[in-house]
Amino acid sequence: MRLRVLAVAVAALALAGPAAAACTQPKTSLSYLEGQVMCPTCHTTLDQSDAPAARAIEAQISRRIAQCWTAGQIEDELVANFGEGILAAPPHKGFDLLAWWLPLGGVLAGAAILGFGVWRWSRSREPDPEPVPSGLDDETERRLDDLLARLD
Amino acid sequence: MTRTLKIGGQVVAVACVVALLVLLLWRLTHQEHAPKVGAQAPGFTLRMLSGNGTLDLASLRGKAVVLNFWASWCVPCKAEAPKLERAWQQYRSRGVVFVGVDFHDVTRDGRRFVAAHGLTFPMVEDGSGDVTSGRYGITQAPETYVVGRDGKIVLHIPGPIVDAATLARFRAALTTALRS
Repeated sequence: MRLRVLAVAVAALALAGPAAAACTQPKTSLSYLEGQVMCPTCHTTLDQSDAPAARAIEAQISRRIAQCWTAGQIEDELVANFGEGILAAPPHKGFDLLAWWLPLGGVLAGAAILGFGVWRWSRSREPDPEPVPSGLDDETERRLDDLLARLD
Repeated sequence: MTRTLKIGGQVVAVACVVALLVLLLWRLTHQEHAPKVGAQAPGFTLRMLSGNGTLDLASLRGKAVVLNFWASWCVPCKAEAPKLERAWQQYRSRGVVFVGVDFHDVTRDGRRFVAAHGLTFPMVEDGSGDVTSGRYGITQAPETYVVGRDGKIVLHIPGPIVDAATLARFRAALTTALRS
C-alpha cells in the first residue's frame, strides 16, 4: 500500500514538474527590455508607450522572462516576429555597424581637424626669430661672401 | 595652408547641408500613402500566420480579394471579426478570397485571436508592418481593401465593417469586384 502511494506521488511530481518549473531566478527584467524594444505602432520605446501593441509586446516579454529566457533570446524572438526595427539600437553587424562607427569616426575626425587647426594657429603666432649678429661689419661680410663665391 | 583648410571646411559643411536636404526631399517623396481606388493593389508575399508557408497576392489574380488588416490588440477588430467570417462564408463559393493580414502583432496573440473568433479564411502575418504601412499606408486597425479580379482596388474602408451602412458598401464592392 505504501509503495503504491509513493509511486502515485512520484508520478504526480513528474507530471507537475514542467508546470512548477517557473523561473525562480530571471535572467533579465521587463524594465530593462522596455528600454531596448520599440513599440511598432508609435515608434517610441515600450517604456514610453501606452499603445495596445506595446502592451501586447510587454505581455509577451513577461511570459518569456517567466520562462527564464535571456534578454538576447527574447530580442531574437521579437526580431523574428517584428523585424530588426523592433530593437531600439541598431544591430552590431552588416550595414547597421555604420550607425555605431560613423559617430565615433566623426568625433575622431573633428578632434583631428580641431587639433591641426590649433597647431597651425599657434605656429602662426610665434614671433620671427631675431637675426643672430655675426660680429662682422657689412663691408667685411660682403667681401667674405665674394671670396666664398669665388671658391665655389 | 590656412586658407586651403578654411575652404575645405566650408566645402564639407555645404556638402553636409546638401546631403541633409536631399535626405529630407527623398523622405518627403517616399512617404507612405494609401493606394487609391482604381489603382493596382500593391503586391506582397507574406508568411502564413499558421506558420505553414507563404501567400503571394499575385497567386490570387483572377479572383476578387478582400484584404483585411487587423491585429489582436485592436479592440474594434473583435467586433468586426464575426461579420467578416459571415461574409466569407457567404462569398467564398462565388470566387471571393478573404485574406486577413495580422500586423504589428505577437504571432501567438494573433493565432489565439483567430481561434477565439473562429476565423477560417487565410491569415498572413506582417509583424514588421512593411507591407501594411509601407505599401498600403495603413494607419489604424482594422482597415479593409476590396480588390477586383483585375487586381485593381475597388474599395478602401478605413475602420471596422460593423454598421449596416458600411456592410452595405462592402457587399456592393464585392459585387463590383466580382464583375471587374
